[in-house]
Amino acid sequence: MDSLLTPLLSYLLLYRYVALAFVVYIGAVGAPLPVNEMLLALGAFASQGYFSFWGSLMIAVIANCLGDLTGYAITRKWGDWIVRVLHLRKARFFVHLEEELRSDAAITVFTTRFAGSLSSITNLLAGLVRVPLGTFIFYDFIANVIEPAAALGIGYVVGNYWSDFSNLFTIIAAIFAVGIIMFVLIRIQRKIMKKYE
Amino acid sequence: MLNTMDPKKKRRPISYYIKIALIVLGIVLVVLFILLVRNYLMLRHANLISRRELSLSAFVQKHGPLGASEVGVIHSWMTFDYINRLFGIPQDYLENQLQISDSHYPNLTLGKYASENNIDTVVASHQVQNAILKYFNQPAL
Repeated sequence: MDSLLTPLLSYLLLYRYVALAFVVYIGAVGAPLPVNEMLLALGAFASQGYFSFWGSLMIAVIANCLGDLTGYAITRKWGDWIVRVLHLRKARFFVHLEEELRSDAAITVFTTRFAGSLSSITNLLAGLVRVPLGTFIFYDFIANVIEPAAALGIGYVVGNYWSDFSNLFTIIAAIFAVGIIMFVLIRIQRKIMKKYE
Repeated sequence: MLNTMDPKKKRRPISYYIKIALIVLGIVLVVLFILLVRNYLMLRHANLISRRELSLSAFVQKHGPLGASEVGVIHSWMTFDYINRLFGIPQDYLENQLQISDSHYPNLTLGKYASENNIDTVVASHQVQNAILKYFNQPAL
């Protein structure tokens, strides 16, 4: 079992919904915590009557959305200063990434919710390139309902054998992340090629 | 110096290789999904997941407590409160059996109990497992 997961599960059992909200929020902001595995276990706990399934889902969704909004808000407020200080607009790749994120904001925000740590990076980038707040919130919310519901649901059904599925979850998130990065790179490369044709 | 490179041989763009990589990733994702389903079906076949739990009405019902044969699920990250609920045993049973004096009981993890008593977590888990087996009138491990 993940060395971070064991203490998380203890905190979850000790402090229950407060721990759930805190861990999911911090994970959404960017801390590398095994949140999906924790939700899988939480689904199992719910199946045993120790937690409420729907209450847990509601708290996970709200905490996830708030965490994502925090990352978005940080760069939305201080993004221009960061870009100036780091001279990011001098880097052609960043300019293309900015254009790509603006044109495909909805699909990027939605799909990166399923890609582990890439979700937090996307939140920061979305604020940096000023993706419309309404667009961000809408697609973030939809994906933030699907992802924890899937983890909780699978945990609920498999019960005590949830740990058999936790590694698969991590691998699937990693594959999603790599796939999304490659997709974005292809799109950027196509735009560059088009420009110079 | 003449350029001896065949003009018909063009270097493939990077996007070509990225597309190949994406296809491979897609195949890997499908394989992983099949493994996930296979894992689940194996558990179903071994009767470790009840078919009843799959029905919509069963989804919202609480699942029953575990029995003596499932004491192996106990881990050091679990609290005594959770273990008591998991096995449907009285809250004070383990406290009395193991003579736990910590005031945080039952909101006390097995790991904390082990460190307070200067024993290994594996030993602590075995103590709890044997106490539960005794409750169910089963022989100790």
